[in-house]
Amino acid sequence: MFLNSQKALLKSDGTRLDDRLPSHVRPAFLKTGAVSVAAGSAYAEFGSTKVIVSVYGPRESKKAQAFSDIGRLNCDVKFTSFATPLRGKAGQDVSDKEFSVLLHKALEDAVDLHSFPKTTVDVFALVLQSGGGDLPAIITCASLALADAGIVMHDIVAAISLSCVGKDLLLDPTYKEESQQDGSVFIALMTSRREITQVTFTGEWSSTKASEALELCCDACVKLGEVMRVCLKEDAAEATEDT
Amino acid sequence: MANSLKPDEARIDGRTANQLRPLLCTRGLLERAHGSARWQQENTIVMAAVYGPKNVSGKRENSERATVEIIWKMKSGLPGNAEKEAEVIIRRTLDYIVLSAMHPNTGISIIFQVVHDDGAVLACAINAACAALVDAGIPLNGLIVAVSCAVTTNGVVVLDPTKAEEKNFRAHVCLVFPNRPKSTVAGLPPPVAGEPAEHGIITCLTRGAMSVDEYMTCLERGRAASVKISNFSRTSLEHCQRGYEMLNA
Amino acid sequence: MSQDEGIESATGAKDVASSMEVEAFRRLFPVQYIERYLDASVRPDGRPLGRARPTDVVLGQVPTTDGSALVKLGNTTMLAGVKLELCVPSGESPDQGRIAVDFQMPPICSPHVRPGRPAEDACSINEQLSNVLASAQLLDLRELLITSGKSAWVANLDIYCLNADGSLFDAALLACAAALTDLQIPGVAIDDDGKVQIVSPSGDQDQHMLDAEKVSDESKSRRIDKRRLTLGPVPVALTCMLHKKHILADPTAEEETYLQTTVTVAMDSSDKLISLYKPGGLIVATTSTIMDCIALTRIRLKEVNRILIEAAQVKAGD
Repeated sequence: MFLNSQKALLKSDGTRLDDRLPSHVRPAFLKTGAVSVAAGSAYAEFGSTKVIVSVYGPRESKKAQAFSDIGRLNCDVKFTSFATPLRGKAGQDVSDKEFSVLLHKALEDAVDLHSFPKTTVDVFALVLQSGGGDLPAIITCASLALADAGIVMHDIVAAISLSCVGKDLLLDPTYKEESQQDGSVFIALMTSRREITQVTFTGEWSSTKASEALELCCDACVKLGEVMRVCLKEDAAEATEDT
Repeated sequence: MANSLKPDEARIDGRTANQLRPLLCTRGLLERAHGSARWQQENTIVMAAVYGPKNVSGKRENSERATVEIIWKMKSGLPGNAEKEAEVIIRRTLDYIVLSAMHPNTGISIIFQVVHDDGAVLACAINAACAALVDAGIPLNGLIVAVSCAVTTNGVVVLDPTKAEEKNFRAHVCLVFPNRPKSTVAGLPPPVAGEPAEHGIITCLTRGAMSVDEYMTCLERGRAASVKISNFSRTSLEHCQRGYEMLNA
Repeated sequence: MSQDEGIESATGAKDVASSMEVEAFRRLFPVQYIERYLDASVRPDGRPLGRARPTDVVLGQVPTTDGSALVKLGNTTMLAGVKLELCVPSGESPDQGRIAVDFQMPPICSPHVRPGRPAEDACSINEQLSNVLASAQLLDLRELLITSGKSAWVANLDIYCLNADGSLFDAALLACAAALTDLQIPGVAIDDDGKVQIVSPSGDQDQHMLDAEKVSDESKSRRIDKRRLTLGPVPVALTCMLHKKHILADPTAEEETYLQTTVTVAMDSSDKLISLYKPGGLIVATTSTIMDCIALTRIRLKEVNRILIEAAQVKAGD
């Protein structure tokens, strides 16, 4: 059974079910300015994973929160009820809370919190369709939305995940690949500084395998970072043309 | 129960199509509230209690006007979307008469308790709110009056439907009109020939499908009935402190 | 746009209006800003008063649903998806399926929505949607029946607001109607015990396909092929803003914030009035205002029906 599922993920010529090589990422589509009423927003599509992130603020912090000299980053992730094949419950369930915390951790170090003292920047994400690699998609999209909102950042953050299935390392896994993985890596990287803001390993990893996986992820993040920069430049040029 | 009616046929409770249920309005029932009223249309009874102008804290404080808060309590069960919507409708309806700019930085709470729902409950609640606001001495620029009507399957319009009638008939409408001889609000559209300001609709809510003509009949009947309810409500407020009854409306 | 256009409004704003930047004037005197446009019979976004914003409908955008639609009304964006689940019909109506409508405003859609409890607007629109769908003859719930008294479909219709820029109810209702036109009911096989199995599901194919093969071998089982619903006349809503003597169709969020009094009319193509919703406000509506709103809705109804037909053709062409 175990072997069967492995064979099911890689075809005889070594490519994956969607014709990618194990070290290739899914086709990505990025666009800023998806939500007109927000201060900044972005839409990201990685294969069948589709995410919208809006950024509001900097604005007044919630009254209930204690006074803070530096700015605050407030993150919230939601899924639509039809994001997954089985209908999820509407509203916020456990996985959203976990993702909200992870999103916050990944972005916190990249954002210059001193540039908006005493106020809050809200980062809200909605996963329209969950097709694997949801969290990296949310983080990448959120970082674009923050840039679109003009929030001061040290660097843009790109994120990617990797699944280890048997001996194979599959970069940017789909939902199906994720569900059969033996271990996973997820990293969020500030692409120009080459500094990792967040890294998570699950499962059993030998140190050589782990560094190989990290290397793969970092390279993919840097490439993704370039795509993000191009997207920001193009959308900014478009915006100036319009006005 | 039949869901159609001949124009001159008596309804299940013996009323004619154009007849309201007996009205009863009592004020000042609740001791701790700043103002209260109980409005009864036979079996439909709603109590309204007004608290304020009172201290309001945090985000709800508005430096230009009083914040009006509506709380709708059902006879039983948990509040859902329908109750939330009723709260929104009542708040925006009362915006029309409450001179909230006279008490900036304060809050006015109006709490509704449905004692019994036998149809036309929203209209009943709005009438109760109006009486309770007067009882509390909140500055108003006029009174309002709410009336319900229903359309039977064969297109006959009946006034003040009961719960069973609301359920069986094709559609029903809740209408709110101003109850005052003269309009005092600035920014009103200029009166159209033959249409005085008190004929204007403050709030309208419909359930079920009807033709435009049927809706217009509802408006016409509603307006006519609103005069009766207006007179009742004015007499009740002017002549009697503790309560006033109007039978054979 | 030029400051000289329009007639000066009779307030203090006129003194400063000529010497101020447009954007500053817009923020400081929002009502006067809009009024100056209205007096020239045009809206801040360049529309005539009675015209709705350009509307786009795309069907079948979400493969994990049985029917979905993405609706754009100007900047206002709605994503609706229908997911079917099996249920037992209620004792009161053994010959009917159910529809459960849920309208959501996630925090991404508007600066006024914060995470946590649902927004007041969302509750209100939810209730309005359920009422309008119950009042209209769009969907015959008997069509969702599989076996009388034993099994039926429950259609979970979830609408997500992605961008809240005014006239949310109109867009949400259009998204509902469009998602229902896109809805495809999977084929089912019913065995002797009345057990229902899905033959052509939308989601996880493999598991169900195995079941289907197994079932088709049994000659006694009854099969219902996949089908589409026959929908009745589609209800279309138009929100109109009343301000002084003006009627503004399909207001934006900015207009809704500052002008406040709205009338929402919903009608269907058989010229039935499905809903007339005016929740209070500072301005009363006269009979002639109501008639004007109804007339605007009739025009809008034709437009929307054309858009829906075009969307269905685009989908069929794919």
